[in-house]
Amino acid sequence: MAASAVTAVRGWSGLLLGVRSVVLRLPGLTQVRWSRYGPEYQDPQIDKGYYRKPLAALTEEEKYERELRKTQVIKAAPATRTSSVFEDPVISKFTNMMMKGGNKILARSLMTQTLEAVKRKQFEKYHAASPEEQATIERNPYTIFHQALKNCEPVIGLVSILKGGHFYQVPVPLADRRRRFLAMKWMITECREKKHRRMLMPEKLSQELLEAFHNRGPVIKRKHDTHKMAEANRALAHYRWW
Amino acid sequence: MAALRVSCGAAASYRLFLGGRVSFARGQGLWKAAAAKPQRSPGCQILRLRHTTVVTTRKNVAVLRRETYTVDFIKKQIEEFNIGKRHLANMMGEDPETFTQEDIDRAIAYLFPSGLFEKRARPIMKHPEEIFPKQRAIQWGEDGRPFHFLFYTGKQSYYSLMHEAYGKLLDVENRQDQLRAKGLFSEKTKAKDPIGSRWLIKEELEEMLVEKLSDQDYAQFIRLLERLSALPCDAAEEEFVGRFRRSVTIQSKKQLIEPLQYDEKGVAFSTGQGNRKTAKAKVAVYDHGSGRIEVNGVDYLLYFPVTQDRASVGSQRIRVGI
Repeated sequence: MAASAVTAVRGWSGLLLGVRSVVLRLPGLTQVRWSRYGPEYQDPQIDKGYYRKPLAALTEEEKYERELRKTQVIKAAPATRTSSVFEDPVISKFTNMMMKGGNKILARSLMTQTLEAVKRKQFEKYHAASPEEQATIERNPYTIFHQALKNCEPVIGLVSILKGGHFYQVPVPLADRRRRFLAMKWMITECREKKHRRMLMPEKLSQELLEAFHNRGPVIKRKHDTHKMAEANRALAHYRWW
Repeated sequence: MAALRVSCGAAASYRLFLGGRVSFARGQGLWKAAAAKPQRSPGCQILRLRHTTVVTTRKNVAVLRRETYTVDFIKKQIEEFNIGKRHLANMMGEDPETFTQEDIDRAIAYLFPSGLFEKRARPIMKHPEEIFPKQRAIQWGEDGRPFHFLFYTGKQSYYSLMHEAYGKLLDVENRQDQLRAKGLFSEKTKAKDPIGSRWLIKEELEEMLVEKLSDQDYAQFIRLLERLSALPCDAAEEEFVGRFRRSVTIQSKKQLIEPLQYDEKGVAFSTGQGNRKTAKAKVAVYDHGSGRIEVNGVDYLLYFPVTQDRASVGSQRIRVGI
């Protein structure tokens, strides 16, 4: 049968599927961060392969899902989600985290300069190396970037829990998205704070990315410090209640 | 300064006026106002406290009871509505027999133009069933005995509905058993209906039954209906299940598609508009084109300095398939 019971359309007041009206919870404060879309709005499907698939190649579930999507309201796609082959979600997220004051143009140019610097350094090494070593040198800046961030992800995290008037650092398992976030955050903080005044961000960032790719450098050290701290505080693990 | 003494049940307020005169406040709230009259020198503005008292007594806060509308009252309202509808049709010069609700809405909007932002505050003329909330008639007779046998469950309409639905389920299963006994039963699975309808939501069911339901009650009822609809039913049962389904609109049908326009060379084209903050955009897409996209006469790759904007325009081309 069609749409299941409890996930049925929830919009009341005449079943108007519309933008959620602003509700002021506190006087003098407006919600600025919350989405203006109601819960019934679905995320847009940007992937062009989804639409190019011939009708015969679809399974029953996929056909059903497409019929269902025809009846659902869809959010507008943000300008950052293009169907471009050059778009990478990890790079986009990292660029947004580097951005200050909404200056996306600057953040994006820094990112491209970083990737270019990484590529140049690797090519210099490649041309200076012997043929046996050349096979081991990775030159694609995107793979270096992804691998470096993956190497920086912590396995376990620490959380401040208040107990008996004191804050304790309790080891806690982390969700994947939290780990990815921490890796990027540490990388950016490290590059902003620990560089020489005259050194530019792309240069420092490319340096750190290459070091992280080879599992050395300050960001990897910070990850290991977190792990050691978690190991040292493992007696406090029972303070966690979730 | 004036001493403030507020007696219980009274409220006093004061306002600051420029060059106002002092007035002695009287009433339940006791105020000692500044005594002397102000000396007004020409060309000088003096600030004076002007005391006024707003006398309010404690409100008789009656028990807020929901207004009960009797059946006679609703009937009278319906008669008045029907007569009013005919008068309105006469006024607008239309045929009273074929005067629909949309015509009423249009007539009211014409006769009582309102600029209020809140649409619900504007004048409306609708059937009393839509305006007055549905209420239950008295559930018991003069001797105090309730009419419905499930009255003491507290949710008589809900439980009687469940009872009815389960009865129908048992009938269907009995029929299947009989067919199986005769050997005429064929195992044909019901075809999964394409999406065109959905179950009632909890609020709609509550409105239908004029009773408050819990989430579990609602979920239980929907589960029962789904079980019933999964089995091969005949027309009466389908009709019963259909009462609890609502149609779902396909969102693309809500889009207004303008007909194609033709320019002087006979090439078909279509226009569209959009805006964002104070920016406005008009687009014209031509048939048998070269694939070029121009913005204000300049190619889009040259117009936008930011790569992201170029990519977002170019991606529209990819998505459309040009």
